[in-house]
Amino acid sequence: MKQTIIIISSLLFSTLFYGQSIGLNLSLFSLLALVILIIGNPNTFKNKTILMYAGLYIITAVLVFFQNSIVAIITNCIAFFTLVGSISQSKSSVFVNWLNGIYTTTAGFFHRNFDYDEKKEQPKLKQDIDILQWVKLIGIPLIFSIVFILLYKNGNTVFNDLISKINFKFINLQWVLFSVLGYYLFNNIINPVQVESATTSDLETGNTLIQTENFSEENLKKEKQLGTTLMLLLNVLIVFYLVTDIIALNSGTTSNAVVLSSQVHSGINALIASIIIAIVIILYFFRGNLNFYKDTQALKNLSFAWIILNAALVILIALKNNHYVTAYGFTYKRVGVYIYLLLTFIGLITTFLKVLQTKNLLFLFRMNTQVAFVLLIGLSTVNWDSFITKYNINNAVSLDVNYLIRLSNNNAFLLNNLRKKGTLGPVNNQAIFVKHKAYLKELNTRNWQEYTFANFQENDNSETPYN
Amino acid sequence: MNLPSNIGKSTLLATCVFWIINFTEEFDQDILGLVLLSIIPICICVTLVIILTICPVFWFLKKEDESNYSLAKRCFPYYIILMFGLCALGATTTYYELYFISFLVSAFITTAQSWVWFTKEKMA
Repeated sequence: MKQTIIIISSLLFSTLFYGQSIGLNLSLFSLLALVILIIGNPNTFKNKTILMYAGLYIITAVLVFFQNSIVAIITNCIAFFTLVGSISQSKSSVFVNWLNGIYTTTAGFFHRNFDYDEKKEQPKLKQDIDILQWVKLIGIPLIFSIVFILLYKNGNTVFNDLISKINFKFINLQWVLFSVLGYYLFNNIINPVQVESATTSDLETGNTLIQTENFSEENLKKEKQLGTTLMLLLNVLIVFYLVTDIIALNSGTTSNAVVLSSQVHSGINALIASIIIAIVIILYFFRGNLNFYKDTQALKNLSFAWIILNAALVILIALKNNHYVTAYGFTYKRVGVYIYLLLTFIGLITTFLKVLQTKNLLFLFRMNTQVAFVLLIGLSTVNWDSFITKYNINNAVSLDVNYLIRLSNNNAFLLNNLRKKGTLGPVNNQAIFVKHKAYLKELNTRNWQEYTFANFQENDNSETPYN
Repeated sequence: MNLPSNIGKSTLLATCVFWIINFTEEFDQDILGLVLLSIIPICICVTLVIILTICPVFWFLKKEDESNYSLAKRCFPYYIILMFGLCALGATTTYYELYFISFLVSAFITTAQSWVWFTKEKMA
């Protein structure tokens, strides 16, 4: 029964994806994959966590259809790995789900091939022999028949004529191979497997640090002294940096793009180095027994102060980026800066919690990967090309039309509306006209598998003459 | 570890996969000789990959009294995920050209199956 379903699904897989670009097909594939997973693992779908991941997966599939952006496609793939991984073990962390999901998708078939229960070894072996027998039964006669046909062709002209008339060109072998790929994929995911070492270790490790036996007060005292001195010095340094930065920010409001860009980028570089070093140092000192040493309040307070000051640094960089965006509008890099700052801010909060609640490194990793996953889903709900174009046209003091033209076709209609207003130069007008025309052509020549929401929008899908 | 047997089987598997994928674009009888000749470079590639990437895992990472099955369960997932990542990277950097795709797919399938054969050696 399962095999029949997998074979039908693999044929659908080829129908959806062979020679097509991404669109409705990925959304339909997501539904198909979900059906396969439910058929293969009906009991696991009673678990609330898995139902939540299944829901998220379907949401990302819908987003692929509506947004048709790279972010939406990547999010859909990650949601797929998360769902598949969670079916193999629902209680594991998100990053272990990703690992299990990737492993199942890429090598589930091979894993099952050598994964055997020693008690059930015989029946498994018997099954392998049966498959091998089938391969021999079909493969060997087929290969020899082809070889002999090729040999006989040269020996007899009548036979050669007859053979030459046989035409298998109606069979698209690449389509067939694509179906085999689909079969491999569905066969892999129908019974998800797990990376046992990582999953077991994840399940066995909690979030809280435990005091170890080698608790040496003398060593801890020395470590505490070193930590306190270092954190004090770093706090003084970052305060000095922040004060000078605030003075520089208030002293003059430059509108020069190069200066603003340089300010933001150098700030970001400083921030990256500062945050990484901050977290590594904090993790080093609070990695073990120092958390349980009686006299570490000063060190903890200095660490908290440093985390808060780094958060202030994040806010300062965000303000600089904001100035930059107000003057010159959004670009992907500037959006990326905001996302990076948000992630950094969350990273600092989790580090703060780690020290405050005596958590371990795994806690940080678990929390941060969960946040990153949720943020990615949130980001995929936005059509960024359209958002950037709309914002820049309506708000940017200095509009970089060339940048907007270079974005994907998702903003073609918006740019065409801008062109119709007649405020742009002839070169930009021509470029937008060409882009819009190409997009209309692309929309009208899409196969049903490639459809996106844009195909159903009530835009003027007819070509307008160039003025 | 029965290395010669594994290399022999892997070479045949890699040759089959490589040429099956290539022949889906165009089947030309004239290159059948080339198919036979290609076994030599394919065998060299397979031998190198097995000896340089799979055998060291069995030689150096295998604990005392550990079965092949247990070792494979411990190391195979990471090996194959890394292999998949490299193959996917290779496919994108060569712009999905059929010749490279067939090479990468055959490399992926052969290394995975080679692991299975090594793991099952004691069972047989």
